[in-house]
Amino acid sequence: MVDITKLRDIAKEVISRDDVRQVIGYRPGTYGFRARPAFVLEPADADELIFSPACINNLATYIVIEEKLPVPRGQEPDSRKVAVMVKGCDSRAIIQQLEEKAYDRDHVLVLGIPCEGVVDMDKVNARFPNVDKGDIALEGDKFVISFNGTKEEVAKDELLADKCKRCRYPTPLVSDEMLGDEVERFADDDFSDVEVLEKKSRDEKWAYWEEKFSRCARCYACRNACPMCYCEDCVLTRLEPMWMRRSVDISENTAYHIARAYHLAGRCIQCGACEQACPMDIPLMDLNRKFYKDVRELFDYEPGTDAEQPPLLSTFSVDDREDFIL
Amino acid sequence: MAEATKTAEATKTDFEPNIVAFLCNWCSYAGADLAGTSRIQYPPNVRVIRVMCSGRVNPLFIMNALQQGADGVLISGCHPGDCHYMQGNYFARRRFNLMRNFLEYVGIEPERVRMSWVSASEGAKWKGVIEEVVEGIKSVGPMDSFKRRQLNW
Repeated sequence: MVDITKLRDIAKEVISRDDVRQVIGYRPGTYGFRARPAFVLEPADADELIFSPACINNLATYIVIEEKLPVPRGQEPDSRKVAVMVKGCDSRAIIQQLEEKAYDRDHVLVLGIPCEGVVDMDKVNARFPNVDKGDIALEGDKFVISFNGTKEEVAKDELLADKCKRCRYPTPLVSDEMLGDEVERFADDDFSDVEVLEKKSRDEKWAYWEEKFSRCARCYACRNACPMCYCEDCVLTRLEPMWMRRSVDISENTAYHIARAYHLAGRCIQCGACEQACPMDIPLMDLNRKFYKDVRELFDYEPGTDAEQPPLLSTFSVDDREDFIL
Repeated sequence: MAEATKTAEATKTDFEPNIVAFLCNWCSYAGADLAGTSRIQYPPNVRVIRVMCSGRVNPLFIMNALQQGADGVLISGCHPGDCHYMQGNYFARRRFNLMRNFLEYVGIEPERVRMSWVSASEGAKWKGVIEEVVEGIKSVGPMDSFKRRQLNW
């Protein structure tokens, strides 16, 4: 894992630079085991930065959803960089955003954190319910959970987030400064979870998804947490044309989930932020992973690995499959 | 039990599906027009919406049609290489390929959403396409999984 003093020193040095506006990192949360995003504007604030397996948020989201207020006449917009701490998966979000030309490479300063996996908060909370304040650390292949003066060791596999169990890029693919030593790839992705769902019969599939979709409360937390959902004018909130109504029923929920997943086709970088944010435990990653798998098999394309490649659906190949066309 | 399945089978084949067809202005719309002017008989289940190019068809169109009571959707455009806008149908093909697999994944029958290439001279092919689409949709029955609920206040 990353040395915290080194992390804070680098953050301090970065925020002291003239061309950096803020550093986005993690700090301890106010309750439970959570860590929360920290927006460091002063060198003194950098002392509270941490990195632990509880740092599950994808901070790349904040680069694109930051509100850009109009600048008063005669003033120049603040063009200083935003420094952001990224894990392996988050770095792919930055690459994908660069690929889509969401901002210039000069706009961000990437502080890479080689990551050995983060926890799934739902699993932690199920195992240690009602903890006011606690810490999680990774030591070897065990998570060390400490709270109220007690310390417990749990095998890594039991609490590790599902996305980390199939993480192929633990070390950031893009970074200006690396905060730790490179991590060996420790997992691989065989899409067995998607294949299980694909093998169901048609009625079983719809019964499965109908139950999941009808749970949705349409809070749009999945959209807001997603680093790739950054349209200023989202089709979901647009009134004219109103693609789907606001009512919470199976029809609108299905349309919403299909639209949301489709908008991430060839763009989703498998960070799991949507599923993590979902209060109703809808397996959103299963939807995203279907597209991820298809895109890889049909077009041999992997989002968020190369900032120079054109976005998948804005290009085509003359040899694309067309055996389904009449 | 056997009787119940029999009646279900009967309603499946008896029902006349509503199909929304998005036809490109330059090829498929002209092809359907040719089928009409040549007095070719084909099933009257299709409601045509003319778009300038099959690349104009947003996957949201498909979702919206299915929500609003269409039993099936057909997208039709020029053959690859013949697009009036050079590349529009290539983009549509790529987009539709993903959409189709995905709808199948969430349990919506792939027979409901179809795509075809029909050129302006293929009136006879248009008839064949429509017959196949209608037959496919009849075999899967009415679309009721996520049709929009009609509220009568």
